[in-house]
Amino acid sequence: MLAQFQTSNALHWLGRQLFNRTDPAAFFDPLLERIDPMLAQQTIRARVVSITTETADTRTFVLKPASRWQGFRAGQHIALTLDINGVRRTRTFSLSSTPSQWQENGTIALTIKRIKDGLVTGWMHDCLTPGETLSVSEAFGDFGIPEAAEPSLYIVGGSGITPVLSHLETMAAAGSHAPVTLLYYVRTRNDVIASKRLAVLAEQWPALTLSIFTTNEPGKAQRLSDQHLHQVPGISARRCYLCGPEGLMDLASDLLDRRDVPESRIHCTRFSAPPMKDAVELDADSLGGQVQFAKSGKQTDSRGDASLLDIAEASGLSPKHGCRMGICHQCSCTKTSGTVINRLTGKTSGNGEETIQLCVSVPAGAVAIDL
Amino acid sequence: MQRLTESQLNELQQDLDQIRDQVIADLGERDANYIRRVVRLHRSLEVGGRVMMPFGFIPPVFLTATTALGLSKIIENMEIGHNVMHGQYDWMNDPSLNSQTYEWDTACGGDSWRRTHNYEHHTYTNIIGKDRDYGYALLRLSEDDKWRPAHLLQFANYVLLTTFFQWGVGLHELEFERLRKGDITLKEKIPFLKEFFRKGGRQAFKDYIFFPAVTLPVAPIVLAGNVSANLMRNLWSSTVIFCGHFTQDAETFTEEESDGESKGHWYLRQLTGSSNFTGSRWVHLLSGHLSYQIEHHVFPDLPAHRYPEISGQVEAVCKKYGIHYNTGRFAKQYGTVLKRIAGYSLPDRLRTRLWPEFSQPAA
Repeated sequence: MLAQFQTSNALHWLGRQLFNRTDPAAFFDPLLERIDPMLAQQTIRARVVSITTETADTRTFVLKPASRWQGFRAGQHIALTLDINGVRRTRTFSLSSTPSQWQENGTIALTIKRIKDGLVTGWMHDCLTPGETLSVSEAFGDFGIPEAAEPSLYIVGGSGITPVLSHLETMAAAGSHAPVTLLYYVRTRNDVIASKRLAVLAEQWPALTLSIFTTNEPGKAQRLSDQHLHQVPGISARRCYLCGPEGLMDLASDLLDRRDVPESRIHCTRFSAPPMKDAVELDADSLGGQVQFAKSGKQTDSRGDASLLDIAEASGLSPKHGCRMGICHQCSCTKTSGTVINRLTGKTSGNGEETIQLCVSVPAGAVAIDL
Repeated sequence: MQRLTESQLNELQQDLDQIRDQVIADLGERDANYIRRVVRLHRSLEVGGRVMMPFGFIPPVFLTATTALGLSKIIENMEIGHNVMHGQYDWMNDPSLNSQTYEWDTACGGDSWRRTHNYEHHTYTNIIGKDRDYGYALLRLSEDDKWRPAHLLQFANYVLLTTFFQWGVGLHELEFERLRKGDITLKEKIPFLKEFFRKGGRQAFKDYIFFPAVTLPVAPIVLAGNVSANLMRNLWSSTVIFCGHFTQDAETFTEEESDGESKGHWYLRQLTGSSNFTGSRWVHLLSGHLSYQIEHHVFPDLPAHRYPEISGQVEAVCKKYGIHYNTGRFAKQYGTVLKRIAGYSLPDRLRTRLWPEFSQPAA
């Protein structure tokens, strides 16, 4: 009901007059959330239905988004937003469940590996419990399943299996006959994510050839090699999907290239970069980096402890600003990715989306600013 | 102003930075919960007030509804709007509490406020000629302004300003005094005026047209209630703000002494140019913790509900450097504000005879 209130132009205008905000329905959020967090209008809420352990460091979170969530295609991601110690954090994760499961019972699943020292994944593993709610974005991404009857090859490493699970189960449910090969690389036997689901797939779906390789098992270290690809029949006619850590993806692209698989038939989905270490020393060497101003399309390199405000001005932008000493927050704007160091506090930011003060923020590595 | 050596100023800066760092390191869920609780209180009061208002033909209901709506506006302007726009909650990354996009329930547009208040007033606090908040270019409050016979009427001007405070604040950026002098032209102010009419029009439409119109049979009652709620907010917020910088001992500064100043000197100016008043927890909440104006001016972007917790430390720092920590009961502080307005409306010689305590030399 409230969502409809937002969509009508006249009512939207009226809402702005009465509530001084572009999303008038969200004016009532603080009260609605008290009744039921799922009623919130500013973001789409999802309730945690269950949490199951896959491996020592990987868990599957089953969520039920509010009914106005619009669904997804196999292989897509969503951004999760949650509050940790008062700070709103947003991270992107692949959906590991199938669209048909969502159509049937309205639930979706995210299979999330705990990143070492990762703030958000760590919190989700340690603190999130069934019944709680968090916010989800609409699904996005174009790591889609192959056309029907097209043979395919998946080269997957570690938790890169998550969007692939959604692919495979969707194709299996459709009864696809085209051959599918999955080469799945994990550190040890114990690191196989969703081993039961994979076993069921391999058993009940004849089109699938499943090979699991352990890269760090003592005495049985098997890294991706041309030998593995050699065993895939008709590889040059297959559509190839790569999903995993940077090193594996690079190696796989290289090997496929040598086997003359055209680039147009190779699809990648990359993990987000691991978070920066918490304490970057404020020495000039670690500072600076490539700065991208998204709205204006400008890009520049910075060195040393130049502030983002100086960098923006040097590249011909004139961002709104005031005191240039971190007092007035006139220059606050959104950093969409990358890490910055606050000159006043010496504190290093997270690498996700957040509000920063340009005049006292110094880039530490590549940064993208919404300016 | 208290004179400190360069090394004392550096030390002062370190002492205050340390207090600030402590609070920043401790920011978290407690602060998030606090501001969300205040936001909920505001929503409940506003919704409650608006729903009750049409039943205002019953006198106690009228009183309750008007009080609820008035309090809702006070809380929204003082503890939520003013503080959120200072960036006190930007670290939460909550778009509805973002300093740059927040729009508050008053005639002054958020962008105009961010320019004139956050930047000009907080950077150039009490520097005569640069801080246009000092007397709002309307009142003579120090000997830096030469006395003119027109100043005799300034108490009446003050009463008008406090009654229509939201419109005064809304038009602050028009810089009427500079327009009159011909320093700037009206043409330069067209973008501002457009902004002002859009925001001011929106506020007037909401309180004086829309809500009375949808409750037509009782429109006069709703209109009266809304006018009263706005008046309540105007009187209270202007009073709080006047107590922040125009009390007896709040100092003023010249452009020369503040030109190219260090952060330590900026701190010193904030400490000596601001004044606090004491009161209950509710008084502090309703004043947006501007009752801790000194703490607010040294740390404008720390969550305001933290000011009471650090006020002891700030006072100790003041004591260490022999800086007067200007505080007192609300009635006492407001009394000196009224005296200051009345006193400086008189020629200097008459004033010094009547109120010798206001004989602060020109800054």
